[in-house]
Amino acid sequence: MVRTTIFIILFSSILGASSFEQNCLNCHGDDFKFNMMMKKYTLKYSSEKKIKKAIFEYLKNPTFEKSILPVGYLNRFGIKEKTSLDDKLLKEMIDVYYDKFNMNSKLY
Amino acid sequence: MYKSEKQTIIYVLALYLSSTLLLIATLFTSYYFYKQEQLTHSEKELLKEYSLTLEDKLLSVHESSDEKYEYPRFKDFNSAIYDIDKNLIFSTLKTQVTDLDKEFFFIGSNSYYISSLQPYYLGAAYTVIEKKTTPMNILNELVTLAIVVIIITIITSFFLVKLVLKPLRDNLRLLDNFIKDTTHELNTPITTILANIETLDPQNCDEKSMKKLQRIKTASTTVSNLYQDLVYLLLNHQVSSQNEELNLSDMLNQRIHYFTHMANIKKLNIHAEIEENVYFNADKQKIERLIDNILSNAIKYTDKETNINITLTSTLLSVSDEGKGMSEDEINKIFERYRRFDKTQGGFGIGYDIIKSIIDEYDIKIDIKSVINKGTKVILTW
Repeated sequence: MVRTTIFIILFSSILGASSFEQNCLNCHGDDFKFNMMMKKYTLKYSSEKKIKKAIFEYLKNPTFEKSILPVGYLNRFGIKEKTSLDDKLLKEMIDVYYDKFNMNSKLY
Repeated sequence: MYKSEKQTIIYVLALYLSSTLLLIATLFTSYYFYKQEQLTHSEKELLKEYSLTLEDKLLSVHESSDEKYEYPRFKDFNSAIYDIDKNLIFSTLKTQVTDLDKEFFFIGSNSYYISSLQPYYLGAAYTVIEKKTTPMNILNELVTLAIVVIIITIITSFFLVKLVLKPLRDNLRLLDNFIKDTTHELNTPITTILANIETLDPQNCDEKSMKKLQRIKTASTTVSNLYQDLVYLLLNHQVSSQNEELNLSDMLNQRIHYFTHMANIKKLNIHAEIEENVYFNADKQKIERLIDNILSNAIKYTDKETNINITLTSTLLSVSDEGKGMSEDEINKIFERYRRFDKTQGGFGIGYDIIKSIIDEYDIKIDIKSVINKGTKVILTW
């Protein structure tokens, strides 16, 4: 029973990680500053719930107002396109992103 | 120092001291609370400063490019950070805080300061600072100061009271000396009058003169009795008791005989049931004063042509009259000096004061039973 549970967790996390690579890193690439983005979201939204909600809303419908990037950057590169992922998958990806990069878990 | 003077000093001192103490207590309590308030304020300011220090550190940690973030720790205080939804992010607190709405408060010996933060470095929307409260050491100082002030107040008030009472004391001493001198001067003429009346031959006098002589004798006996009371009162504090085995039966008979003339004037019938050879160990002069006062009171306050019953047993002496009697209230106040209920009769109202001092000295119990318009019965038991 314990083995099965561990297996399922490992499998799902590998699956989650691989789908994160497929759905996110595919475009953003390895050099994308995920860490920096998380810092900016943390600085503005504080809690896990609020950060996830803000990311979700931005990715669903990106606007200048919702973006946390500096204005100069936005002026130069514009805002990203709407996500093609469905809500469920998008939320899963945001969860994986939060788990991997949130600041709280790195505090000691 | 007189007993009444001592009492007055005690009362005035008590009043003065209690009001002064009340004032001191109020002042000190206000001062204590003021200091406490001051301490709370300075404590809060200090914690506010710590909170800013923490904020600076949080900023630098947030901006660092390290893989892991080391939460800032301080020697002087502990801290915790909470996110906007009041979830704990990190804490070094010894006691966790549940309510983030209060700004400054104490839990046990620690003081806490909560401030909100923006932007949210490390996600912190609230910072909590915990510090061991600086102890307030003024209580011991205040108690010592209060004791010193109280001692000074007691000493000053004592001298103040003595100073205020001085004119009164001088007047009292003057009056006392006057009474002493007068009393002393009364002795010789009274003795002379009484001795000369005794030496008069009744056969040489007609009935009218004899009656007049009897009246003079009774009046002189009354004055002599008063003289004895005054001497007793004035010397009471200075002369120690010369106790001896007294034959109360003989003494009582003698004293009844002494008052016979006085009783005859009011046509009183004295019925005496005196057990023989009743002995009592006491000072003769004092017991004489005791019996004289009870007998003279009975004679003085009884109605004309009534009976006075006197009983003596080995444990009891009772004297009853058929006079106007006393109320319960009057009986309760009878032992006060200079208390006289019937102003038509002579005297200073010192009789029962003398009786009280003697019965107290010899542990004699007194019981006064009185019915208005029927009479009074005084019972002494030992």
